[in-house]
Amino acid sequence: MASSFDFHNQRSRLQSFLTRFSTDSLVAPDPLTDRTLVAVIFILTFIAALTAGLVLFGSAASARWQALLSSEVTVQIRPQPGRAIETDLNRAADLMKQVQGVTKVRIYSYEETMRMLEPWLGQSTSLGGLSIPRLIAVEIDPDAPPDIPAIGRQLAREIPGTAIDDHRTWTRRLATLGNTLVIASAAGLILIMTATALAIVFATRGAMVGNREIVEVFYFMGADDRYIARVFQRHFFRLGLRGGILGACLALAFLALFRFVVAGSDGLRDMFGFGIIDPLSSVGLAIVIAILAVALFVSMLASVVSRMTVHSTLNRLV
Amino acid sequence: MQVHPNRWGGELVRFENVGLRYGAAPETLTDISFSILPQSFQFLTGASGSGKTTILRLILQSLKATRGMISIFGQDTAQLDKDGLTALRRRMGIVFQDFRLLDHLTIYENVALPFKIRGRMESSYRAEVIELLKWIGLGDLIDAKPPVLSGGEKQRTSIARALVSQPELLLADEPTGNLDPVLAGRLLRLFAELNRSGTAILIATHDISLMDQIKGSRRLVLHNHHLQAEG
Ligand SMILES: Nc1ncnc2c1ncn2[C@@H]1O[C@H](COP(=O)(O)OP(=O)(O)OP(=O)(O)O)[C@@H](O)[C@H]1O
Ligand SMILES: [Mg+2]
Repeated sequence: MASSFDFHNQRSRLQSFLTRFSTDSLVAPDPLTDRTLVAVIFILTFIAALTAGLVLFGSAASARWQALLSSEVTVQIRPQPGRAIETDLNRAADLMKQVQGVTKVRIYSYEETMRMLEPWLGQSTSLGGLSIPRLIAVEIDPDAPPDIPAIGRQLAREIPGTAIDDHRTWTRRLATLGNTLVIASAAGLILIMTATALAIVFATRGAMVGNREIVEVFYFMGADDRYIARVFQRHFFRLGLRGGILGACLALAFLALFRFVVAGSDGLRDMFGFGIIDPLSSVGLAIVIAILAVALFVSMLASVVSRMTVHSTLNRLV
Repeated sequence: MQVHPNRWGGELVRFENVGLRYGAAPETLTDISFSILPQSFQFLTGASGSGKTTILRLILQSLKATRGMISIFGQDTAQLDKDGLTALRRRMGIVFQDFRLLDHLTIYENVALPFKIRGRMESSYRAEVIELLKWIGLGDLIDAKPPVLSGGEKQRTSIARALVSQPELLLADEPTGNLDPVLAGRLLRLFAELNRSGTAILIATHDISLMDQIKGSRRLVLHNHHLQAEG
């Protein structure tokens, strides 16, 4: 008798976690309310996990773009009447090579430049011999960058029609964008967590009213406030965990889908860098961990908030 | 069953000139004075609506007296804080007239509830609970839930829940109301055995034949808002 009873109890415990609503909980399960709460927590966890993932992803991507941009400057030479542009290009390249902090200098050939302009000018042979501005790609050491504006002024003095672009405006804009994204997402996360906490306060109050008779019996059987709070806490921790796990699973599925899409597109892969979305890279791993942490945090939030709600409600009732 | 070390030498329950009114109605109970001694056995009787359940609720402290003094286990209940109240209730067992079983728990879980609330490991009480359930004829219903039970089965479950922790004081409100005479007699013997092992018992009932079965028991009779002790 005893052993078969034990078996039943263990199995029903596992079953209740995976499928049905808990049978061994001392709080009477109320399937409709419980499922609604799980659904609410599921949705909020999903949004929170995505937001957390977005923060990590966004800041990694913006750091990558900033690094790419700040490790390269471009020298542009506009054709000037009466000057041989190839000579000017070689001169500018020689000058740049002598600058401290410059690691590599490369002149884009006429053909390369035409290819770059193709999208705008079309593939036309009639353009042969057209004077177009020419570019020199200059790689610099991002850790010891040269004084680009000063070099730009010097170049322009020696070779008329020269301009240097260090993408500084873009880097700054990217940095601002990245920071704004992080702050906005953090604010969003706080709001989502507040909404979750409020949903749990509501659900706990509802459960306490619905279980009033049960709470009374508990008191008569010698339970104290702490015990009753623990009972509700356990109940809502489970519901929170269930909603949190579902939300995290969907968020991870989204991440996998995103990775699949990015991996399948050359353009996106270049833009984001494959390492960022690879789950085995440091950023990818951080995103996965962040998603799981959000789910765990939500269930802990559920348990803490329900315990506090029970205590404050009991104190007001008695 | 082991005998309780009696922590309090005097009366378990003492009422002095207790009065109680529900809302603005006239007093339901007036000048009630009595006491319950350790290991005693008494019946509380009186017509329907005379206030038997009300007295039990006053002892259980689910109701506050309008006037007078009530002390439980030697403690004045007027000076009781929440923790003190919890401690008192852990020394009592109660059978409610309306059972108050938890419908979502099995019979076994309902009866084991007092142990669970006291934080005991399940392995330390499981055998005991199952033995008790078998003894009162619920061995086949261990995994059933209260909504599917008959009135008498519910009543036996609620009795088992009150007995299982061997309290110092057992309060039972009409515990045999839904039972046939044979089963009622069997349960009364269970109460008597518990009493011999040291539990003081107060049974509210209007079943005269029940009272006649326990020799040497005291009768507290409620009549006209007042209480008289007989025997
Ligand atoms: N919560 C309440 N509010 C108002 N009046 C109540 C309340 N509970 C009981 N009463 C009244 O107090 C009186 C005593 O009730 P009580 O339940 O104590 O009677 P009883 O002796 O247990 O009756 P029974 O034998 O039918 O169970 C009754 O007249 C009842 O209507
Ligand atoms: Mg009654």
